[in-house]
Amino acid sequence: MQSPAEPGSDLDLLHRLAAGDREALTPLMERHYRRLYRLALSYLRNPDDALDAVQETFVKTFQNAARWDGTSEAGPWLSRITINVAIDRYRRDKRRQATFTPLAEGDHDETIAGGEPSPERRTFGSELAGRIASALRVLPEKQRAVFVLRHYEEMSLEEIAESLGMSLGTVKSSLHRAVHRLRERLQGVRA
Amino acid sequence: MIFDHLRYGPKVSLLAFGALEGRAREATERHAGSCARCRSELESLLALHEVLRADPVRGAEPGLPLPMLVARVEARVSEALARPRGHWAWRLGVGLPAAAAIVAIALLAPRIASRVTPVPPPPAGVDEPPVVSAEALSRLERNVAREQAARYLSDAGDVLVTVAAAPAECDRKDERVDVGQASARSRELLARRALLLESGPQAVASARPVLDDVEQALREVASLESCVRRRDVERLRANVERRQLLLRIRLMTRELEG
Repeated sequence: MQSPAEPGSDLDLLHRLAAGDREALTPLMERHYRRLYRLALSYLRNPDDALDAVQETFVKTFQNAARWDGTSEAGPWLSRITINVAIDRYRRDKRRQATFTPLAEGDHDETIAGGEPSPERRTFGSELAGRIASALRVLPEKQRAVFVLRHYEEMSLEEIAESLGMSLGTVKSSLHRAVHRLRERLQGVRA
Repeated sequence: MIFDHLRYGPKVSLLAFGALEGRAREATERHAGSCARCRSELESLLALHEVLRADPVRGAEPGLPLPMLVARVEARVSEALARPRGHWAWRLGVGLPAAAAIVAIALLAPRIASRVTPVPPPPAGVDEPPVVSAEALSRLERNVAREQAARYLSDAGDVLVTVAAAPAECDRKDERVDVGQASARSRELLARRALLLESGPQAVASARPVLDDVEQALREVASLESCVRRRDVERLRANVERRQLLLRIRLMTRELEG
């Protein structure tokens, strides 16, 4: 497939991926992996799960590049894959937790290792992050996704509706409800 | 005014989180200017917005360097490409009739059983049977053990891919590379493996050969210093390749996940 886009641009890289050129993966990942990691982390609130979600996102990107419409922006397309991977992962973990007793409370890897947490885990383990994580946890999964895409990814409501396959009205009411629930949960917390 | 307040309530939330534009934004701002309740609501939501903007997640950095992530993705892509054509069609072809048969058995079994052997009513004073039978409990335990093993193998595969993916140099002159994180992670996984075998040795018996090879590879990684000679890592990578360990891990993980 001949790429009509500027060489090295996101569009060019996606065209190349769609044509089966694996070399295009690295520059695309280099450009987007941090942003997608933060998006996945803001939804899943676990660094390991977020990394797995980013990994899954790029595998899916390679596998589905041929289905990409060829004109839309790569950034939102990748974000859409990431948030849907994160939602799937969250559902799976919820199901797993329903029948599965973890080895220990919290992060079993860290508990067993007993070692020092990484700087990334320390950042993530801050009190504010913990409060926000527990507040987000009470939101239903789609409401949480709407909120995350708006607040962390700064997507427009129309883009969110398209990404999650929801109507614009549902996105608006979900965001409104999410914000009110978060306010209840974060009462008294200061930035 | 109350009607207006109700009408603008959701819009005030959207305004506070920057999701309103154009005329809708102007109208909501104008209304908030003249409605004390909406103004107070807006101020409260803007304060919440500030709190959420300070979430450390917004500046979080991935704990895995890009080359390692690229290596993991490439390994998954290679594996997907190597999978024989028709794999999913085959699974679907076998899986759908099997699923239909299971559903049919589940639906018909109680009727058939009640015709063959009528169940006598429980004698008075006898306690209700337990909600979960011993058989169901044992099945559940087996599934849990297999899930744990699958997760362990998947994590171990990640460590081996990380080591194989050209780690960053820590001493260029001496041709040494940094495997500190992978080495520490291997030690954690070895601790998990011990628990795994304690909890359900029978359930993961079929995975034993792969688990043993993985254990050996993890021990090699765990024994490395954090800044190790590149040729030691290459030797380890060659061992993993020779034993086709990554492919075997992936296949066994799938089998365990059912």
